[in-house]
Amino acid sequence: MKDKKTNRIIVTLTGTLWFLLSLSSWLSPTHEISASERRKLAGFPEFTLKSLVTADFMEGFEQYAKDQFPCRFLFRTIKAYVRFYPLGQKDNNGIYIQDGYAVKMEYPLNEASIERAEDKFRYLYEKYMEGRNVNAYLTIVPDKGYFLSNANGYPSMDYSKLFEMMKTNTDFAEYIDISDLLEIDDYYKTDIHWKQERLTGVADKIRSILGEEKERTGEYTEIEVERPFYGVYYGHSALPMKPDKLKYLTSDLIDDCTVYNWETGKTTAVYDMEKLSGNDPYNVYLSGAAALLEISNPAVKDGKELVIFRDSFGSSLAPLLLDGYSKVTMIDIRYISSDLIGDYITFDDQDVLFVYSTSVLNSSAMFK
Amino acid sequence: MKNGVLLFSSLIFYGWGEPEYIICMVISILVNYILGLLIERYSGSVWGRRWLIVSVVFSLGMLGYFKYADFFIANVNSLTGFSAPMLKVVLPIGISFYTFQILSYTIDVYRKDTKAQKNLLSLATYVAFFPQLIAGPIVRYTDIAQALDKREHSLLKVRIGIRRFLFGISKKVLIANSLGELCKIFADSQERNVLFYWLYAGAFTLQIYFDFSGYSDMAIGLGKVFGFDFQENFNYPFISKSITEFWRRWHMSLGTWFRDYLYIPLGGNRVGRMRWLFNIFLVWMLTGLWHGAAWNFVIWGLFFAFLLMIEKLWSGSFLKKMPDSISHVYVMLLVIISFVIFDAPDLSTSAERLRSMFGMSGLPLTGIQSAYYLRSYFVIFVIAITGSTDLPRRVIGRIRETPFGGIFLTGAEPLVCVLLLLLTTAYLIDASFNPFLYFRF
Repeated sequence: MKDKKTNRIIVTLTGTLWFLLSLSSWLSPTHEISASERRKLAGFPEFTLKSLVTADFMEGFEQYAKDQFPCRFLFRTIKAYVRFYPLGQKDNNGIYIQDGYAVKMEYPLNEASIERAEDKFRYLYEKYMEGRNVNAYLTIVPDKGYFLSNANGYPSMDYSKLFEMMKTNTDFAEYIDISDLLEIDDYYKTDIHWKQERLTGVADKIRSILGEEKERTGEYTEIEVERPFYGVYYGHSALPMKPDKLKYLTSDLIDDCTVYNWETGKTTAVYDMEKLSGNDPYNVYLSGAAALLEISNPAVKDGKELVIFRDSFGSSLAPLLLDGYSKVTMIDIRYISSDLIGDYITFDDQDVLFVYSTSVLNSSAMFK
Repeated sequence: MKNGVLLFSSLIFYGWGEPEYIICMVISILVNYILGLLIERYSGSVWGRRWLIVSVVFSLGMLGYFKYADFFIANVNSLTGFSAPMLKVVLPIGISFYTFQILSYTIDVYRKDTKAQKNLLSLATYVAFFPQLIAGPIVRYTDIAQALDKREHSLLKVRIGIRRFLFGISKKVLIANSLGELCKIFADSQERNVLFYWLYAGAFTLQIYFDFSGYSDMAIGLGKVFGFDFQENFNYPFISKSITEFWRRWHMSLGTWFRDYLYIPLGGNRVGRMRWLFNIFLVWMLTGLWHGAAWNFVIWGLFFAFLLMIEKLWSGSFLKKMPDSISHVYVMLLVIISFVIFDAPDLSTSAERLRSMFGMSGLPLTGIQSAYYLRSYFVIFVIAITGSTDLPRRVIGRIRETPFGGIFLTGAEPLVCVLLLLLTTAYLIDASFNPFLYFRF
């Protein structure tokens, strides 16, 4: 009798759960993007005879089913919890949590990638800057693993070797060491990036090396964004972490500057408030990823220009480097070919700063 | 009607992964359906034998073409210096499994162990039945002939089937895939040290067990839900005390297939010593080759042939007198070595990996990554090692014997089933790594 009851309970429970999951999969609306993972979700694949025969449809459907599964983030969180706690795994999707910080394991040091980055920077220097009264500088932004990995037993790249390789092989640029000015508190807990409000020391050092006339013209006003900031690692780790607070530093000088985006042809302010309600609020700084941006500073007439070759870390740093420059041009060679830069910029009597994070240098295949 | 629905579902299931090669399976079914009838019709005459030969040649010919043609060409090229072009044939999923199933059918009809199936739908359902179609177990026609025509369903069978399926998929998704990730990390890593090689070797050995036995559990469970009783495929192979015992517990459906359709017809052990040893050699070489068209699989099979010969000739009785712990270490050490050979892309890599495991490559003992992954995967290793033994079953047996144990287990069962269903769903949704190792065979 008991057995019959258990038979019924198990079959009914699992059957109902299966049915409900399947039904809700079919009925739930299709989402285009995953805000937490910052990626586009797979849509329903094209159904054609060819896609059926080549099994492309089936592959697409499987990705679609996984991406559009109801309560997807909840299930991902369950997985992350099980991995981290009962199973005692130290990372989920390559992200570990240490001292409340979500950190991506960046390892090993990809020496070929570092050499590729050095070659690319040298190529840019020789093609555009050599013999043209250009002063080149290089600074490297350590990722969070630099502060947390070794001390806590996580594998990490050989940072000393990376810094040494970059310093040695980019002798055309003066190296600005900022690693001693940074600590883990200067980074967001849920995101890859550093906090702009903690960068004044870094910016001051860079400006002091670029030239005395580039001294900060006044104090910044710190503005805290009301909306909680969930960074990119929040979604990747799939663990419920407390959100960060996003702040930005402004001043009359920064407020007066305008940013021209060569791709879109649009002119915006340095801080793009519309982006605060988007998928990645960090895009508030210079509107996020862009191949070529031109920041005009009306406070300085006929002053020197600064050209920054940068990754996303440069977006929050650049507003703090505007003092003393009439124009700052931001170039991201992940989105524009190095050979096309000359079509937009004439290098002559400028300061040129390369600002790259260790993570990007270690994956420099994305440089064009 | 029931068979029609199963066959239709099975064809969709197969076509989902291999739409192009569904035709191969259909042709194989049709040809062997006719040959089965002819074998029975001419049973006892020379034509019965001839039709059997046609069936064997046709089925092995299909398998040979799709699985071994390029291996054969490559070896001929390297031996003769020719440069015959490769055919680059794509291996249809599960062809090794369904070919062996079909062969068991026609051979059993020839041996009069079963009657030829008159109903094409029933035979097609047997061959194409989706739970075991692509990764086994190799189901004998004689085992399910009766159920194909008439099978009984009950809520109890469905419950057992669901439970078995959920345990199977959990073994696969929660354990095998996790260990597989570690193997991939090892393969992608630049760090090399003795500890990392052992971590990889242990992880792969456990991965292949949980992957394959998990799949067999799923197949057996689904079979139960649909009213079929499949043969067990694994019986805690890692608790074996000899290699002979290991092969009585590992991939049992393949082992018994080779025993019944090759080893015994060759004379088994009832022949002279040299012939007996040759029989073992041949069976294990083919067992290795069945797993894949590469020399490492052949060496893997021959490695076991060598060990089995030694055990049968000399060390078998000695092993029985040894303490259990030493026998277990002996078996596991050799099994781990065998799977390192099995998994390597080529022979030189397997040799290099084995040398490194035993500290003969001048590598350091440990490193940052290997130490990290040892800590990160420690609990999974403990769960996998414990789960690969019969300890959980014995513990459950003990609990059942206690006064309230039966009630507790009956109450816990639905909760465990729901928990496993939710957990495997969670893992599958977030999975970027989900290989089925035995699909490639």
